[in-house]
Amino acid sequence: MLTLLSMFYYICLRRRSRSGTRGEVLNSRRAVESGQRALPLSVEVEQYVKEVLDFSSHYGSENSMSYTMWNLAGLPNVYPSSGDFTQTAVFRVYGTWWEQCSSAPQPFRRTPQSFYSQDYIEVAFEEPVYPTALEVLETYNPGGIVQILACSLNPFSQNPPVDIRWEVLWAGEPTKALNPQARQFSPSIKQINFATNLIRLEVNSSLLEYYTELDAVILRGVKERPVLALYKMPMIDISDLSDGEEDKEAELALRCRQTGNGKHNMGNGYFDKLPYELIQLIISHLTLPDLCRLAQTCKLLQQHCCDPLQYIQLSLQPYWARLSDASLGHLQKRCSLIQRLNLSWTGNRGALTLTGFCSFIRACGQGLVCLELSCCHFLTESCLETISQTCTGLQELNLSSSDRLRPHAFSHIAKLTQLRRLVLYRTKVEQTSILSILTFCTELRHLNLGSCVMIEDYDTVASMLGARCPSLRSLDLWRCKNLTERGLADLVAGCRFLEELDLGWCSTLQSSSGCFQNLARKLPRLRKLFLTANRTVCDTDVEELANNCFALQHLDILGTRMVSSASLWKLLRSCPQLLLLDVSFCSQIDARTVQDLASHFPRVAIKKSFTQ
Amino acid sequence: MISVLSYGRLVARAVLGGLSQTDSRDYSLVTASCGFGKDFRKGILKKGMCYGDDACFIARHRSADVLGVADGVGGWRDYGVDPSQFSATLMKTCERLVKEGRFVPSNPVGILTMGYYELLQNKVPLLGSSTACIVVLDRQRHQLHTANLGDSGFLVVRGGEVVHRSDEQQHYFNTPFQLSIAPPGAEGAVLSDRPEAADSSSFDVQLGDIILTATDGLFDNMPDYMILQELKKLKNTNYESIQQTARSIAEQAHELAYDPNYMSPFAQFACDNGLNVRGGKPDDITVLLSIVAEYTD
Repeated sequence: MLTLLSMFYYICLRRRSRSGTRGEVLNSRRAVESGQRALPLSVEVEQYVKEVLDFSSHYGSENSMSYTMWNLAGLPNVYPSSGDFTQTAVFRVYGTWWEQCSSAPQPFRRTPQSFYSQDYIEVAFEEPVYPTALEVLETYNPGGIVQILACSLNPFSQNPPVDIRWEVLWAGEPTKALNPQARQFSPSIKQINFATNLIRLEVNSSLLEYYTELDAVILRGVKERPVLALYKMPMIDISDLSDGEEDKEAELALRCRQTGNGKHNMGNGYFDKLPYELIQLIISHLTLPDLCRLAQTCKLLQQHCCDPLQYIQLSLQPYWARLSDASLGHLQKRCSLIQRLNLSWTGNRGALTLTGFCSFIRACGQGLVCLELSCCHFLTESCLETISQTCTGLQELNLSSSDRLRPHAFSHIAKLTQLRRLVLYRTKVEQTSILSILTFCTELRHLNLGSCVMIEDYDTVASMLGARCPSLRSLDLWRCKNLTERGLADLVAGCRFLEELDLGWCSTLQSSSGCFQNLARKLPRLRKLFLTANRTVCDTDVEELANNCFALQHLDILGTRMVSSASLWKLLRSCPQLLLLDVSFCSQIDARTVQDLASHFPRVAIKKSFTQ
Repeated sequence: MISVLSYGRLVARAVLGGLSQTDSRDYSLVTASCGFGKDFRKGILKKGMCYGDDACFIARHRSADVLGVADGVGGWRDYGVDPSQFSATLMKTCERLVKEGRFVPSNPVGILTMGYYELLQNKVPLLGSSTACIVVLDRQRHQLHTANLGDSGFLVVRGGEVVHRSDEQQHYFNTPFQLSIAPPGAEGAVLSDRPEAADSSSFDVQLGDIILTATDGLFDNMPDYMILQELKKLKNTNYESIQQTARSIAEQAHELAYDPNYMSPFAQFACDNGLNVRGGKPDDITVLLSIVAEYTD
């Protein structure tokens, strides 16, 4: 009796559960047929940025909340208003003005045409989700975003996995939005098969009229892995198929096989008739992944593709997501003649270690002339030590935003006496290190000390520059907090060839001391002068520039109340090469004046920003 | 005997339990604001929380409730500068600092210092000056931390009596301490005090304490006993009653300001200093009235 009952119950329960499943299957099949979701399998979660983790540059001061990258966190402050607001995230540069300067680095060969990124920002959200949509609220000069990536790592987890993947959610070309008003940028993103709460935005502002400003990022996603059939199938892009993750790994980890060539020479047909140099010239136009793929085709091409002459310039910045110690190790054999190396943005989150980097430098770095290490957070003092010992002929060194380097690590740079270009933007370099660098690196042409907050006395640094570096062509002292007329006078007296000088937000310079007039008189070759937010710049200063600096191309006098339109007319008449004039927030210069000036001097881009 | 002991134990446990329960709950400030601009612009919220040249803010963060008032110095109008811009921007900046958690509850002077520093980071060339008063309630520790620069200030009323008040900071008559940004070249002629010059104080608060934060438009027209009279009418801790009381205080001060025969505290002080004047002092009035209550979400 009991067994009969239990069997009965068992059969009933099974039937009920089976019919339930069948019901779901029916439901989902109906859903597929109708092309819509019948039941929401997971609730969509909307999140704002919890924390800004990393970025390449920003306009604001390091401990401020005005125009800094940290404003991207949380709810929007400004949207839907448009304008130049302090509560937004602003990058340091815009347009092509910085690329036009002589202090700009030469572009690297073999940069893939699809790599447009100039700046980036990495943001973390609270919960990992499978993203369904991502919106960026741009409140000023939208159109800069060129790539959106998602990472498989949860930055808040205690046990980070060894294997970190970055997946491109969306990529596009730099644009300029037709309508300069605030907008919600929401491109259609790719479906990925891992949950993410770490998003990276890459930006290119070269087409934009003025600084682009971002207010917030909204990530929409589902917690449970979506069943792909219930979503619209994404368009399969041909380039997606050829740019598989696994392929790239294999290529960059390719080993040069040293096999005995002589025994199995099958003949290479017409390739044997072509001169060696011609094949080298042809393959010099291939991007790095294509070069690695080509090396796999046959022994002759492998020999060509592994020829060190192809690796005189090497830029690994476009491949920052995939570069690892192993990749560097495999490239080592080909890079014996390397002269220019770009490792900017690479190696973060453990991808490159100091051993991997140092062994590469020791093996290949003797001939290095240019080394770009922007935003390389893996760098330590021993890396700088290795560079200073190995790369004795180094002429260009870029360490911008490598903020893990301790202040005293920079003293090693003093050993690189051939240095011509040194970028220390947003690093922790301190007084004694920079003074010792300036003592020994007397060939310096281009020096960037923007936002170097640990240097206490900029007057001494400026005086030292004037005394020791007479060949100086460009100097970036953006936000240098305590430079006064004394240091500036020493600088312009000693560095007579100075062409570019950025004194933006240096509030301790007072025009009443005559320092700007003195500057104008002493630097007739001046091409770029930024006096951003120096509220003391007055008509006399602008007139002195008009009287002396006929080569002037870029001038920024944002935020002064003391400059009238008369002196601007004089300046524009006297400086025929002027291309950029920023008179934003100059209270005596209204929109009408700007219009008049622009119509008379059409070659000059006159910038007048606005806020509400 | 045993019953007495057990009864005593029960009572002790109840009392201690009750006390510890109050101690562990967070406090919060229920705040209402009211004010009048000097030129009869009755409580128009220009950019949110501005009354004439005065400005104020009410903000909360995880660990604290913060209030602030700032009195823009009207003399700038003679030089073509809108005095309300400085005070309004200062208060909005301090509000954002609080909302983003860039402050320490026990250091309200730090909020002023950072707020003033951020004003200098604005692309817009701000000019002007104002007093400032910041009041921070540390929710968990039940402590009030204050910073006052100038002649705005606060009162803490407990059981119908003033138990704490701020001191006025004046350089000389009618010239309070003030934060300012001067046009270049005029730095010598314009009074500019550093944020670190603010007076600060910290003390414990209890449930039911009333905190009145206001600019000198209130204190110069209404003596303490009149303010206390109005506050006695406050029976509830809900927002509507507080709003009503704040409004009545501000309205009364506004009326008294234009009474030519009334011996206002301002007139009294002037007489004490040898100036024979009578009547109220027309000025912008800003009143923030808060009650310490238990924290509810």
